[in-house]
Amino acid sequence: MFRRFFQRKKPAKEQERSGIPCGILVFENTSEVIRAEKLIKEQGFSIKVKGPPPQIRTGCDLVIEFQLIEQLNIKRLLEENKVDVEKILPVKDYLLKPVDLYSIKDYGDYLMVRAANMKITIDKASRTVVNISGGGCPDVPFLARELIGTKLGQGPSPREMGHTLCGYALELAYEEMKRLCSQ
Amino acid sequence: MSEVLDAKGFSCPQPVLMTLEKIKQLEKGELVVKVDTQASRENVSRAVQKQGWTVREIKEENDEFSLVINKE
Repeated sequence: MFRRFFQRKKPAKEQERSGIPCGILVFENTSEVIRAEKLIKEQGFSIKVKGPPPQIRTGCDLVIEFQLIEQLNIKRLLEENKVDVEKILPVKDYLLKPVDLYSIKDYGDYLMVRAANMKITIDKASRTVVNISGGGCPDVPFLARELIGTKLGQGPSPREMGHTLCGYALELAYEEMKRLCSQ
Repeated sequence: MSEVLDAKGFSCPQPVLMTLEKIKQLEKGELVVKVDTQASRENVSRAVQKQGWTVREIKEENDEFSLVINKE
């Protein structure tokens, strides 16, 4: 187990050789990433939302990784739906980090899920959202106000309300919480 | 005499959970919740208001906040 932990990550070229060549879509802001992700996924393309490598980091903290073979189709889809892509780049940097890093903490009567920088806590018995914390994005207080007091799965979805990286991370935490509670 | 809950030194969501437990026990009356971050101050305020409690006053001293909350 420890050996696995200390193993070096594969450099990008090795990753490319062992897998399918990928590219990344870079956007100016997070709302466009969220819109694009929804559109692309609806059409059945395989994509992942990730944190950008440091050298291409601009204003937006998220990029979409896609299979290069689908570049033309995805580009056309986004153009048709008026989603502006700032740049399309091949994946050369293995420092891309997935945003879906979860941690779960059980507080007895309450359960907390953290995804990236956002935490959601529910009351286990009633499955009511009791706290939203983390982030630092301007929409966090709004998201918290809308979600606290709602029952899991019955209130509005963070994805529909949020327009920032925090909103996106909160959606991941919310979905993970729903998944855990349905087990 | 108000009850006092010291939630200083705890990180989110613990101050909120401690407060929710306390107001569940008390049901009504007055409670002073002490926290030491802006985030905890906001989160505790939001959580208690959702439970029908009122934030009557927030005192700030030396980077610590005392939230006076009550329910009739």
